[in-house]
Amino acid sequence: MTRNRWMILAMAPLFAVLLLFEVLPLLAVVASSFSRGGAWSLGNYAELIASGYHRNAYVTSAWLSVLTTVIGMGLALPICRLLQRVPDGVQTMILTYSNIGANFTGFPLAFAFIIMFGLSGSFTLLLKAAGLIEDLNIYSIGGLVLVYSYFQICLGILVIFPSLSAITVEIEEAARLLGVSRLTFWRRIGLPILAPSLIGAAVLLFANAMGTYATAFALAGGNATLVTIHIGELVAGDVFSDPNLADALSMILVVTLVVPILVEQLWFKRRGRHAS
Amino acid sequence: MRLDPLRLGLLALLFAILFLPIVAVGLNAFAVEWAGSVLPVGYTWAWVAQTVNDSRFAQAVGNSLILALGSLLASSLTCVPAILAAHCYYPKLDRWLGGLVVLPYAVPGIVMALGLLKLYAGNYGIVLTGSPWLLIFGYIPLGASLYYMPMKSSLNAMAVQDLLEAGYLLGVGDLKLQWRVILPCVRQGVVIGLILNFTLVISEFVYANLLVGGLFPTMQILMYVLRGGSGHLLSVLIMVYFVIVLIATTLVSLIVMRRKEAL
Repeated sequence: MTRNRWMILAMAPLFAVLLLFEVLPLLAVVASSFSRGGAWSLGNYAELIASGYHRNAYVTSAWLSVLTTVIGMGLALPICRLLQRVPDGVQTMILTYSNIGANFTGFPLAFAFIIMFGLSGSFTLLLKAAGLIEDLNIYSIGGLVLVYSYFQICLGILVIFPSLSAITVEIEEAARLLGVSRLTFWRRIGLPILAPSLIGAAVLLFANAMGTYATAFALAGGNATLVTIHIGELVAGDVFSDPNLADALSMILVVTLVVPILVEQLWFKRRGRHAS
Repeated sequence: MRLDPLRLGLLALLFAILFLPIVAVGLNAFAVEWAGSVLPVGYTWAWVAQTVNDSRFAQAVGNSLILALGSLLASSLTCVPAILAAHCYYPKLDRWLGGLVVLPYAVPGIVMALGLLKLYAGNYGIVLTGSPWLLIFGYIPLGASLYYMPMKSSLNAMAVQDLLEAGYLLGVGDLKLQWRVILPCVRQGVVIGLILNFTLVISEFVYANLLVGGLFPTMQILMYVLRGGSGHLLSVLIMVYFVIVLIATTLVSLIVMRRKEAL
């Protein structure tokens, strides 16, 4: 082969940027999470574990993420099934706008929800007039559930839709001809086929919610009891500034996100090998 | 398709999800007054005029566009050659590259921002904070996967090694082969990467706020500044942002559709 050895230079700039602006910053966080007063220590972690304040934030972030992942998956899956049956043009349009929705986070999204569901928002007034609710506080944790669900559903549609092509019309018709009920079809055929992609999607949605900062910050400011907000406050807040504690909290967050991804990868790799 | 009530409800929910937030912001951008009523009491162009004449608005839109242009130049010049070279000549490094570009999906932006602050806020003699350069370089790792995935899907679908071998037999060098044969085959992937990176850069808030903030106010930073006011100016700004993203996303879906037809 006569390939040009200099082609390795084509990769140098990107690897340099990845090293300087991704790998080293991450390693710096890891290293300083184990450092306290200039010495190696587990003190940051000990303080976090002992602190009810930060533990609360972690627990709130975790259940908010799990809940909105369930809502996102639960609504995105049937919506995608419906999308399979609409004309191509409509399908493309809806997928395009879901892409905008999944990216429509931070201030734009928070403000849109404040207009709709804020203290004097249209929907707040309508729902109150209909007697469905007594009070709605968009700035509370319930508000976060509502807003997170929005981008989780959009992201869910984006990641689930492509995988649905595995359930072809032929499979469904074959099952129907054999007299398989819809429920049995999904329990015995549909879900097992889709399981790897659905679990992958759920892991992605969970990580997405757990790592969300801008939207929560835009809605609740520095007051929300969430891991990402606490990290932000520990770094840049006026009241509590403790960068080392922020590092330790970040590490706990990263481990929480990496473990499900690794488990998912290993699990399906093993199963894949088993099946073949 | 049969439309039973359940499906109709789902479809209605979907459209509500997709369109209500932006309709709400849009109404507020033109509302004379909107408090305590379900719909605005009247409509006006006054907020749009006021926003357009606000020097902060022009500055923020200008900054965002400059940042986007710089980022696109920097990210495409670093990512595109590297992805091609890794795929064609260095499969082992390609696996590393694949891992590194998806890392940001597992590491939240706030954590990465924290790491960047540690390295580039002067602790090691380098001060990049406060400068848009930090954003330009910082956004490359965040957006690299947006080039990597569409380009890889094109590269995996073609017989790259056969093309290269054929080129060598004809005595053509690697640089010319990449430029004249491989790159044209993946150009749609590159364009998708460019547009998605553009959307990423003008939507990003965490890095912009923590690393640079008021020293180089972008549209997202101006939204943060305007959050406490009447909301009408903020609504106009969000609409401007939305229209820009809408155009970019529509371009992507047009390219993807053409790609499907070509297959």
